[in-house]
Amino acid sequence: MKPTIKMRPEGNVRDSTASRRAFLRNTSLAAGTLMARGPFAWTQNMPIASLPSAASGAKTDTTLEISEIEWELAPKKKIRTTAYNGQIPGPLVRVTEGKPVSIEIVNRLDREEIVHWHGQWIPVPVDGAMEEGSPMIPAGGRTLIQFSPRPAGLHWYHTHAMAHRDLKRGLYSGQFGILHVAPASGDPGAYDQEQFIVLHDWEPYYTASDDGSMMVSYVCGSVNGRMLGHGEPIRVREGGRVLFQILNASATEAHWLALPGHKFQVLAMDGAPVATQATVETLRLGPAERITALVTMDSPGVWVLGEPRKDFRDAGMGVVIEYAGRSGKPQEPGTEKLIWDYRVFGDSTPAVYTPDATIPMVFTSRFKGHGALDEWMINGKSWPNTDAIIVHEGLRYRLVFDNRSMDDHPVHLHRHNFELMSVGGASTGGVHKDVVIVEAGTKVAVDVVATNPGDTLFHCHQQDHMDMGFMALFRYAQVNKA
Amino acid sequence: MVCTVCAVAAHAQGNYEIQVYGADTVAPRSTMVELHSNFTAEGHPALDGVAATNHAEHETVEITQGINDWSEVGFYIFTSEQSGLGAQWVGDHIRPRVRAPEKWRWPVGVSLSTEVGYQRALFSPDTWTWEIRPIIDKTTGRWYFAVNPALERTWHGPDVNQGIGFSPAVKISYDFTKQITGGLEYYADYGSITNIASLHNQQQQFFPAIDLNVSPKWEINFGVGVGPTSATDHWIVKGIVGRHFDWGKQKQ
Repeated sequence: MKPTIKMRPEGNVRDSTASRRAFLRNTSLAAGTLMARGPFAWTQNMPIASLPSAASGAKTDTTLEISEIEWELAPKKKIRTTAYNGQIPGPLVRVTEGKPVSIEIVNRLDREEIVHWHGQWIPVPVDGAMEEGSPMIPAGGRTLIQFSPRPAGLHWYHTHAMAHRDLKRGLYSGQFGILHVAPASGDPGAYDQEQFIVLHDWEPYYTASDDGSMMVSYVCGSVNGRMLGHGEPIRVREGGRVLFQILNASATEAHWLALPGHKFQVLAMDGAPVATQATVETLRLGPAERITALVTMDSPGVWVLGEPRKDFRDAGMGVVIEYAGRSGKPQEPGTEKLIWDYRVFGDSTPAVYTPDATIPMVFTSRFKGHGALDEWMINGKSWPNTDAIIVHEGLRYRLVFDNRSMDDHPVHLHRHNFELMSVGGASTGGVHKDVVIVEAGTKVAVDVVATNPGDTLFHCHQQDHMDMGFMALFRYAQVNKA
Repeated sequence: MVCTVCAVAAHAQGNYEIQVYGADTVAPRSTMVELHSNFTAEGHPALDGVAATNHAEHETVEITQGINDWSEVGFYIFTSEQSGLGAQWVGDHIRPRVRAPEKWRWPVGVSLSTEVGYQRALFSPDTWTWEIRPIIDKTTGRWYFAVNPALERTWHGPDVNQGIGFSPAVKISYDFTKQITGGLEYYADYGSITNIASLHNQQQQFFPAIDLNVSPKWEINFGVGVGPTSATDHWIVKGIVGRHFDWGKQKQ
């Protein structure tokens, strides 16, 4: 790492606004015409956040109220959990890039809570990670946060509280919802219908994994808070173009999605437009990953958009897609090959950058017993006994994730995103993300430019891994202004 | 215990399968094949037409097929080899088993096994026996506990009138490393539940044992047992080698 402060080299940072414009332009061109924006819809009855403010005097755009609820995943499957505004997922929060927003958060629980604005490049006090220094919301308390949303795209908000051995807390609960940031330049909307899809797993329990350590499994799963067959179908029309905005809000599980007879044109990942809008048969989303994909409805019938893996689908991970005028038993996925390669969405001729410094990050685990969760380490140390990684504003850093464990890790960097530079040793570029799955025994290299001063948390987004030490803090070097 | 072919008569101990059961069942679409090799270094001589256990080598093949995520069926082939008798087929058992599925999220593992089978009179005067075995286990941190309070019934043989016998087995172990687990196994046969045998006539065995967790495909267990009562074989060396075979698409 270089000891001096340098200004960011010109050309080293992708202009996300320009990229987004390109993404929308490309999408429009692909459509052949710029179509009017279609109706927004949740699969179920999920209103946009619009609760009146409870704060005295302060103007709020949105209020999130954290409380314990009973939720019906299916007529014979009710769960008790915690959620935002009494619904799962939480209310859709729609904001505009660069337009300041005030959000009041009311904590009706008897314990501290915190809300993280995942994917947003915002200051530490509002990011929602106590490890960075964001304040907790006390039990029974409330807070008002204000920030200017950026970047645009599909993001989300969720609890950042630890769960440890309590499988009712953290992301095992229903505390998650979508934050959609519209581009400041407006959304041309080259689609007929926008459909938000939120995946989650429920009723977690510990079980033995093949590698001899404990892991978390689930009894059931849901799409937009309902098990397959128990929510309203997504109704589409033949020839329509549906923009699926998909979030995997599972605490620990990666999920695959397929829609038989249809293909997904991937436009963006983690809210950032991809360099190549490749068309694929299946989508893979690690915990916290998001995919924006366009599907042309050209195969009339009744289908299941869901997990190609039968066990997960049987557990509820799917939703029915129903063409207008069609009925009958939904046809399920299952024959699709589970193939995913981030690089197909990258530049065919990726730009070559020279990083100012390379930071190796080795992921390992320490066995704690067949009846315990492994302890996780980055560079041999487990949170909170880790050393902060010092970065300098404006510099480009190449983080080399070296996963020497037997688990895949969806690693996430707060308050920044990064560009994939290599996956499993193969070069790529043009794919910007804030979560990337580093598969067991492989390496992934990413470039991040230090453009958002303040402590920045890095962690595995698997709740059990995060709880067991898989975290580190990036700290911006202090600048001596004298 | 597992002396699955043993009748409760004091000198009819089997030592064909010496294993404390855990609550897990074999996964669906997979098969577990185990070889149990037990050598009685100091046992009992031949008596009343029943073959000796002393210096007998017992080899048992156990094949268990997973049915679904809460049941399995096991099948046993018992054999014995010893001086004067050579290699002999002893008998066969079948053992269906059900468990509380993990998704019930019970705080302990719970399973119920029942076992029915035949063994030749040369090796056990009770030729048809039945066993029901509740299984409770718990893994916490590095510790593992399992209890098998088994009940046995003879259907054909001299112990038919004995009624139900009580044959508990217990295991406690500790994970020294991810690969090596060491512990103590206890097997007993107290005789009839309505007429507990005297300590002299009870079977009591203690096995310090090691489990090697070298691969999810393999199960390896090794132990040396001591039997302090006169009704028990005094020294036994046991080993279990098991291999999982997967058939078809597994849950991912």
